[in-house]
Amino acid sequence: MKRVLGPHLGLVSSDVPLISNLNVWSNIALIYQYHRKASKKSARTFVIQCLQRYGLEGIAEKRNSEISDDERFCVKVLRAVMVVKAVIVIDRPFRMLHYHKDISFIYETLAKIDDLFERCDILDYDPRGKLREERDDSKA
Amino acid sequence: MLSAVEYLGRAALGVSKTWADHFSLALSILAKIFHRRSYSGIAIMVLINQIYFTAIQILPLFFAVSIIMGFLITGIVFNLLKELGLAEYTGRIIMGFVVTELSPFLTVLFLALRTSSAMNAEIATMKVNKELHTLEVFNIDVISYLFLPRVISGVISVTLLSGIFSILALAAGFVCSNLIFNMSLDGYANLLLNSAEISDIAIILVKCSTFGFFITLIPIRSGLNATNDLTSVPVAVLIGMVRVFVAIIAIEVLSLIARSI
Repeated sequence: MKRVLGPHLGLVSSDVPLISNLNVWSNIALIYQYHRKASKKSARTFVIQCLQRYGLEGIAEKRNSEISDDERFCVKVLRAVMVVKAVIVIDRPFRMLHYHKDISFIYETLAKIDDLFERCDILDYDPRGKLREERDDSKA
Repeated sequence: MLSAVEYLGRAALGVSKTWADHFSLALSILAKIFHRRSYSGIAIMVLINQIYFTAIQILPLFFAVSIIMGFLITGIVFNLLKELGLAEYTGRIIMGFVVTELSPFLTVLFLALRTSSAMNAEIATMKVNKELHTLEVFNIDVISYLFLPRVISGVISVTLLSGIFSILALAAGFVCSNLIFNMSLDGYANLLLNSAEISDIAIILVKCSTFGFFITLIPIRSGLNATNDLTSVPVAVLIGMVRVFVAIIAIEVLSLIARSI
């Protein structure tokens, strides 16, 4: 996956956790600052604006352990779109969103930031153990 | 007999691998130190944070410990010198023992107990939580972002704090010399200036930098040895701290040998 997408890969996965000694906005801003050589101030402003799209600006200063699964998912998606020309890959979303019965929450989450990424692929595991890939058509 | 040879062989291989791992990480970090691209805005921000956590946050406690130790050691040494009739060696003992040996040694012990252990646990926890994997996934150079600022902050912090310790110990020395030898400030300053040598300063700087480098490098490397199991964190910290103390003693001994040559 990383070999194909290279620097554009924005992975959202339970295997790619948030950094526990950084708060929410710093987790997102880290990728933005590192890849776009942005200043701390401009990165913070941009990240807070992004969080406001979800009404989550209130969790900006919280740490990973203090936020809910849904909030964590939104933060991971925002972190993923911070890479340049982001191609979001959501890996087994229901491992992160245990209480959701359908994919509507994921589509809603993506729809609110659809100007920030190029494409989104959702990967899920088939009960037979084969990797199934589902393209997010809401973006197209 | 055969099992003993096998045991020795395995032990030798283990030690060699540990040395090779540390050497390899040290080379990677040293290569990045002299690379301009390593000093991105975010790496400098991490460096400033690390210096704050390592050198600034501990200042009140460090001041208190330095003053107490300064009074204690200079008081004991001056009393002994007076009893033995060796008052003329006061300046050389302050510069040669308190400033060049004791200050770096106590400073590095202090930082090893506080910073190295924290750093070791932090890196090990990040490894267990797959946070290092996160950085790799997002193409963040772990050495430039995570390790290099910590090593540089270690070098800067040990050097600066050792300087502060020396200044406070010298101040305590003045009070003790005034009380024990009835020495004036001018006399004390002259005594120190006459006893100071350029080589002492060079040795202190090299020693502090070496201490700072290894008390951060070793915990980082030990932290990276943690597995995916949470119980590997205390094991990594334990092994790392033992290695840090061995390294401190080794550097101290090597510096003594270097001074005697």
